This record gives sequence, structure tokens and C-alpha cells, in this order.
Amino acid sequence: IPDSGHKYYLQFTTEDYKSGENAGSCLATVLYPKTMSPPVVNIKCVPTKDQKQIQEEDDKLYRKIRHQTKPITGNNIPDSYGNIEPALEPVWALAVAGSSYIMWEKSTESLGYFMAQVKSVKQWIRKDAFLEFDYTVLLHEIPTQEIISCHMRLTWLPGHPLKVKYFCASENHGLEDGSGMESGSASGILHERGANF
Amino acid sequence: MKILLVFAAFVAATCSEQLFVGDQVLRITPSDEEQIALLRMLGEQAELQADFWHHPTSPGRPTDVRVPFPSLKTVKNLLECNSISYSVMIEDVQELLDEEKKTMKSRRRVRSTNTFDFASYHTLEEIYDWMDTLVDNHSSLVSKFQIGESYENRPLYVLKFSTGGSNRSAIWLDTGIHSREWITQATGIWTANKIAEEYGQDPSVTAILDSMDIFFEIIINPDGFAFTHSSNRMWRKTRSINAGSHCVGVDPNRNWDAGFGGSGSSSNPCSETYRGPYAHSESEVKAIVDFIRSHGNVKSVISFHSYSQMLLFPYGYKRAPVPNHQELNELAKKAVSNLAAVYGTKYTYGSIVDTIYMADGTTVDWAYDNGVKYSFTFELRDTGRYGFLLPSTQIIPTATETWPALLDIMVHVLEHPY
Repeated sequence: IPDSGHKYYLQFTTEDYKSGENAGSCLATVLYPKTMSPPVVNIKCVPTKDQKQIQEEDDKLYRKIRHQTKPITGNNIPDSYGNIEPALEPVWALAVAGSSYIMWEKSTESLGYFMAQVKSVKQWIRKDAFLEFDYTVLLHEIPTQEIISCHMRLTWLPGHPLKVKYFCASENHGLEDGSGMESGSASGILHERGANF
Repeated sequence: MKILLVFAAFVAATCSEQLFVGDQVLRITPSDEEQIALLRMLGEQAELQADFWHHPTSPGRPTDVRVPFPSLKTVKNLLECNSISYSVMIEDVQELLDEEKKTMKSRRRVRSTNTFDFASYHTLEEIYDWMDTLVDNHSSLVSKFQIGESYENRPLYVLKFSTGGSNRSAIWLDTGIHSREWITQATGIWTANKIAEEYGQDPSVTAILDSMDIFFEIIINPDGFAFTHSSNRMWRKTRSINAGSHCVGVDPNRNWDAGFGGSGSSSNPCSETYRGPYAHSESEVKAIVDFIRSHGNVKSVISFHSYSQMLLFPYGYKRAPVPNHQELNELAKKAVSNLAAVYGTKYTYGSIVDTIYMADGTTVDWAYDNGVKYSFTFELRDTGRYGFLLPSTQIIPTATETWPALLDIMVHVLEHPY
């Protein structure tokens, strides 16, 4: 759009991260302003599951994690061979959700991300019903191919928005060169509407 | 005591496989004729079941006897009471037999490509060993040679599939240029094995190899690969030292002399897409450049990467389409459709710059600009869910579905000589 920016019209389907089943379709417009300020997004999705089903699955995930007798810790999820221990799958699922917020904030018209691996996870036991985790996640950045390491603190309770606090630094420290280094960048608290898995 | 011996003998006789648990082999050295006579008598005691491996002959000459466990005490008492010197040569015969069985089994495993586990990720050593096994098992078709050395002096091996001729038209295949893309090396092994097996069986493979040669470099970047096993699973580049920088490595897929130095690569040694100080600075890349140039008759270059599920062709360094863009596009469309037919895996296709992003100094762009009309890059599974950490359960499905697509390309090359 002349003198304004670039506008994208998107139509896409979504799938359940765990099962690969179709999870719904969405229509969206994304406007990247010339000024490089955050994009303006309009989105409308039609999920395949109803609110009740989603709530049930959230509760199931919650119970699975609460059920554990000791605070959950883990490293390298998946491991080098792509394996995820069944007991750590729920924790990986939460990491995916939390990372998606980080990736949402970091991505631009020319930079995109995937969550490559959970390097470490540690659960903090709280007195209230909320789940809290400290993560180190590795994000794969396209097209630079860089692996970005992010610390992420995540808090969640079914029916409540996912809370994510994060700090990212790139893996290849270029001390003599600023590129690829993100010191002191966005540490933000987000309220994400209706986090579903 | 005698009942026990009889019972033991009975049990041993009824078991299908004879066990020698606790049996010992004694080395007995009789000192005079009297002792020899005694030993002979021992051998005649049927219930003792003493098994002479060497028979007592003359004084001073050792005699080896296997004594079953139940008879051990009796025999040893006899020897000691008569001051006959002996030593225990084998402490437990069964243990030795078990050990031998194990060694035989493992040796058998390595000797045959039929028992190599294609559904697992392997180390550099295992893959290099397997290459020799493949050559051994298909020696009339496959040979291995070295085209150079990596930065850390590891050999760079290429497998040659040939039914003869002299400098026939050839197809070049490679995997493992980016070390963290483990699905590529794994698919490479399976595919190399498949080619060897299908020659003489599959009409297309047979037709191809009857007129053309296939060169397959399974691990372009062994230093990087070793590093992903020992230190950093996410390592992509080579392991060359960069002068004046503490950052290591060059992106081997930005180091080729095709559009070298553009915006599709980085000048920063710390970057994952660092192009290197100059084109072909990396020995891993130079070795292939030299080989293909001196061969002079390579008609196709197919390079494997992961992930994204794409089938790409030149260019990556400029927007202009290649002269035979239409042909490559049609071929990619066909290949991708046949790939999807196996398990439903969806691939996108097109030129690198249109489909993925701008990238300069890539393998296929260099090949194309050096006369190789049929240059393709595969980006294998998946689309980001596991990314580089693709579970090993997906190795064989990935290789299986990619096979028909690869064949489509190779058959097209065969049928369109130039």
C-alpha cells in the first residue's frame, strides 16, 4: 500500500500440535507499517472443537502436570534423537504455547521462528493452584538460521490467560559485532487470550 | 553323591543344547608313569565324565581335561591326594562359550548391510564403517574413494555406483552438508543402500545405472557432524577457524562461487550463514568443486537439506529464472506429487529465491552456472514441529517417500541427455 506499508491477506488451516488433527481455519490480514512499528493484525478463526472440549483438554493437561509428586525438571526435550519422554510431553506442550508468544513478538516481515528445543525446564511449586515453569528454549530463526536462546518464565491455570516473561540472547556471541545479539531486549508480560492446547 | 552324578548326567542328556556351566578345564602335568596310569584310570571312570582334550602320553607332558562341575571336587581331591600337579586353564567353560557367541553375533551384525539399523541415527564412525560394508556387499557395483580432507583432516568419502564404461554421464547426490540436519545423512544411507539393492531389480534404477554413474557423498561435513554428536547438536557450519574471530565455522552452503558475497549470506564469522573469507575457502566445498570440474560429465546435482518439505531449484542468488525454469518446475511438480502419494506428506516447490529466501553461494546455483542443468535441493521433513530433532521413527518413512521423487529426477536426467 503506497506510502503506508505492506498488507498481507491470509487464509490458512491450523492443526493440533500433538495429534496433527485439523483444529480449524482462519482468515487474517496483517499490515506491516512502513514505520517498522508492530504489525496491525485482524484475525478470525473457526475452531473445530467447541469451548467445552477445549476446556476439558486444558483441564486434562493441568491434571497431568499437577499429578506429579515431585517438581518437574528436564533437559533437552526432544533429545538429539527426537525423543520426548512421555512424562515430559505436557511440559513440552506448555513450552510450545509459551514460545509461540515469544515468536509472535519477535517475528517481523522478514524474520520468522520455530521452537527448536527445550534446553531445560524447572518447575516452581506455588502455594496457589497456578503452574509455574522456568524454561530455556532454543528458537530457530529464519532466514538467518541462527539458534536463539531464550529464558522463559511461564505461569498458567486453565481458564486463565497464559503469562509469559522472557529474555532472549543469541547463541553465537559476537562481542565485536552487534548482529545476532539481543541484549536487554523486550522482557514483557503478556496476557494471552484463551490459551488452548 | 553318586545319585547326584547320575541325575546330573540324565538332565544333561535330555536338554537339547548341552550346557557347560561351572565346568572347568584342568591342565595336568603328570611327573611319572604311575601318575599317568592314575590319569588313565580317571578317564575310565564313566560317571565322572572327564573329557580329555589331550591324552596323557609321557611324564612332563601336560594333559588337558574338561571336568564337569559335579565331578570337580572328586577329581581335584584325587589329583591333590596323589600330588599330581595341575592348574585351572578355563574357570568356566559356559562363560567362555557365551562370550564367543556374543562376539560372533556382533561380528555378523557389522558384516551384513541386512542387519544395519537404518531406523536409527548413527555416529560418523558407524557410517564410515557401514560404507565399507556396502562396498563389500556390492563390490561389483559400488566402490568408495576419497576426494579430499575436512578442515580437521577427516577423510571425505564418495561412493561410486557404476556398471562400467569410462567417464560416463553422472549424477551427483549429497547429504549432510549442514551437520545438524541429521535426517539427511540418515536418508542418504538408506538411499545408497536402496540404489545398490534395486540395481537389477527395479527397471528405472537398472536403466539409469546401465548408462550412467551415480556419485554419492553421504557426509559432506564430517567435522560438523562429529561436533553435533560430541558438543552441540545444533551445529550447522564447518569447523574451520576464522582468522581474527573467536567464532568458528563457515556455512558450506554459502561458500560456493555463484553470486558469492551477496545479501543472501553474511560477512560475519559468528553468523550461521557466514560465507567464508572467499569462495571455495572450505576444503569440504573445494573437494567437490575440483571433483565435478575434473570429471567434466556430471549432468545432475541433487543436494539434501532439512527441514521445510520443499523441492527447490536455482536460483537463490538472483530473482531471474533459469532458462529451463519451466522444465525444472514441471519435474519438481511431478516429483512432489509422487512423494505425497506415499504417506500424504506435502511439499512445496519452486526456485530457491521464490520458495524459501534469497541465498547466495549455494551448491546448486554453482552447479547450474557450471553447466549442470538439473540441479535440485530437497528440504526434507518436517515443517518445524521437530525441526532438526526429527524422531528416528521418521527416518525410514522419510527416505521411503523421497525415493520415488528422487527417481523421477534421475529418470528425467537419463531421458534428457545433453
